[in-house]
Amino acid sequence: MRTNAIAFGAALLVACQGPDRGTPQPPAKLPGVRVVDLIPLSLSGETWQDAEPFLALYDSDPKLMAASAFTPNPGGSMSATAPIFVSNDAGDSWTLRNSLPSEGMTADITHAVGGTPPVLYAGIMKVPGFPLNELKASDFFSPAIMTLQSSRADIDQPFMRTTAVGSADRVYVGLNDFDAPSGRTATVDVSLDGGATYRSRRIETRNTAGQNGPSIRPAVARDHTVYVAYFGWRSNAGADVTSDVVVVRDDSGATGATPFKDLVDPSDHLPGRLVATHVTIPWSNAPTLGQERIGSTLSLAVDAQHSDTVYLAWADRVGNGDIYTVHVRRSGDRGATWSGDLRTLTNATNASLAISPNGTVGLLYQQVTGSGDASRWVTRLERSRDGFATHQDVVLASVPATAPAFQFLPYIGDYNGLLARGNVFLGIFSANNTPDSANFPQGVVYQRRVDFPTHRLLDGGGAAVAVSIDPFFFSVPVLP
Amino acid sequence: MHTRSAMLLALALAVPGSAAVAQMSRAALVKQSDIIFIGTVTQVGAVAAPEVPASPRTVVVRVDKVLEKPAAVALAEGDSVTVETVRAGSLKPGTQATFYTTGWIFGRGVAVREVGHEPGRSPVVVADQEAAVAKARLEVNDADLLAHIQRAAMVVEGRVAQVRPAELAGTPAHPKRITEHDAQWQEAIIQVDDGLKGARAGEQVVVRFPGSHDVAWVGAPRFAVGQEGTFLLHKDSTSGSPSAMIAGRSVPAYTALHQLDVLTKQDATRVRALIRKP
Repeated sequence: MRTNAIAFGAALLVACQGPDRGTPQPPAKLPGVRVVDLIPLSLSGETWQDAEPFLALYDSDPKLMAASAFTPNPGGSMSATAPIFVSNDAGDSWTLRNSLPSEGMTADITHAVGGTPPVLYAGIMKVPGFPLNELKASDFFSPAIMTLQSSRADIDQPFMRTTAVGSADRVYVGLNDFDAPSGRTATVDVSLDGGATYRSRRIETRNTAGQNGPSIRPAVARDHTVYVAYFGWRSNAGADVTSDVVVVRDDSGATGATPFKDLVDPSDHLPGRLVATHVTIPWSNAPTLGQERIGSTLSLAVDAQHSDTVYLAWADRVGNGDIYTVHVRRSGDRGATWSGDLRTLTNATNASLAISPNGTVGLLYQQVTGSGDASRWVTRLERSRDGFATHQDVVLASVPATAPAFQFLPYIGDYNGLLARGNVFLGIFSANNTPDSANFPQGVVYQRRVDFPTHRLLDGGGAAVAVSIDPFFFSVPVLP
Repeated sequence: MHTRSAMLLALALAVPGSAAVAQMSRAALVKQSDIIFIGTVTQVGAVAAPEVPASPRTVVVRVDKVLEKPAAVALAEGDSVTVETVRAGSLKPGTQATFYTTGWIFGRGVAVREVGHEPGRSPVVVADQEAAVAKARLEVNDADLLAHIQRAAMVVEGRVAQVRPAELAGTPAHPKRITEHDAQWQEAIIQVDDGLKGARAGEQVVVRFPGSHDVAWVGAPRFAVGQEGTFLLHKDSTSGSPSAMIAGRSVPAYTALHQLDVLTKQDATRVRALIRKP
């Protein structure tokens, strides 16, 4: 690459003093925080809406990571493949590789690692036609196309988690399966043999409004306990769905004949603990909250070392003038009983939870503050060691919510990603990519070519590039 | 496929009087490529950026002239590109050629996979190659459009008279589902001015299109009242309901979901010419 491109594209770490925008002032810049824009230098002309990011990483090799977003193959929509991002330096730099068997882009994607690096599993909705593809790469750095292991139609929002047991990888794919009988569509595809075979496990035991909500979220502990959260849709009127928020549990990794029945609700003695009942889910598949659609925010995290402890976050409409409100609750007895709301976050979405080995819980979310042209998407990570009796927060980004105009939905994502490894939280979110240091209070590194003094993105030739949505990786230390 | 194309081209260029074969092969290379450039090999078994794995098949090429690339890709004259060749040992340092490639790894630099290369004369006459590739691209575009025309049930020149929400009856096979990927089908009623294939002037046809902004439908054409154009219409096998209603009559429903399915009114001339082409 040309010398001037290197000069402009070299990592720009910017320490920031964010101006007062009428929102709570973030704490001072924390040591050890990294925020990195994933778009590489060689794609500096990119203007796509790279929404709905996701992250996968290995315990055994902290340098290796995979990430995804609604990022298209740079070759265009006629391309036979779609890309993933990979890093082999702990997230400091990222490259884009076209290894997904989907034309140009996917319509949904999540992924998780195998026990042996660099094995990677992915669940995608393939373009065209949008069938579920459950995929595997024995080496995600390889240019080879990921191998198809299982496929079927009529599903939504595959959400993947994995764990290794001996030499075998167990794969859990939460998904909404419209072909499930009796409208009980909440399903987990379970593989106990590294994706060679999958069995679809139905986890809804109650009557529904014809289907469950799209988000089905598994979480796996080291002792093989598997929790799954889902929305039990009970009725709907217009755009509002009345739903229960339900958690099921399996104590043996879903290896038995009738899995996910180890947690029973005392009210009806059916599997699936009703953590919240009759909440109102505003189902809006149109720009509703800072140009984003709403209706499926749900996250679950289990303490991998102590599977008794589990945290749950979901969003609904409280009805106090809010558009969408995130709630966070905790159970310390394997889901049998739950706290009330530990956190209530108005006009927020994309809650993601993770628990570090030392017990710090992390809550990533994106919240609209202000109104009209002054409104902003604020991406924040809260960390707590005491069940959110107290917490410390880190503002990762505060960007305009009205620009750029949405190209499609989701605007920034129906979900983002947060994981814990060792003494750090590692995560990913999507946001307006204006290279303005005031927008990133913890600093930011761009790989793509930018000019911070003029707040401009530049293409390879130095011409200005329009602002768009980019995925941002971050690393934040856990609380000591 | 890639190897065969490269061999065809090499054979064509080696045989005097085989210009037609060479042109056909160049079009085949262009069709499979999204990054095309003239470049000079500077190293073999090497890479231009550290994120790319070196192998006996990788060579470093200095870009002399970019002929085609996606707008997002930063690539210009003087850049060094890693090319994963079809066959190890096929290129020597100092060789100048036209490289037909697809994107492979995008990091600090660009790495591409060779579809084929065209050695041509040395040095390559840039203007000649630019013209040849541009001509081949036109041929590829025409061939793609002709294929779409052949697959279409109906090709019309017309005007959108009305847009309305589609009323799709749920059936046991296609029950109503609530998903963020729901197409939210709309119907455009097109008044046919000229039927180019499978339709007559004066007809009205119903074309379903997604009203949804969901990512799954991001590339699908949309229709607006008053819009004029040339439309390649396919029998609706996507919405789950193959029929629609016009003035109380049940009629076949069509879709136009590919970007090539909705062209300008002026494109009708080109479409007619392709239909008539032997």
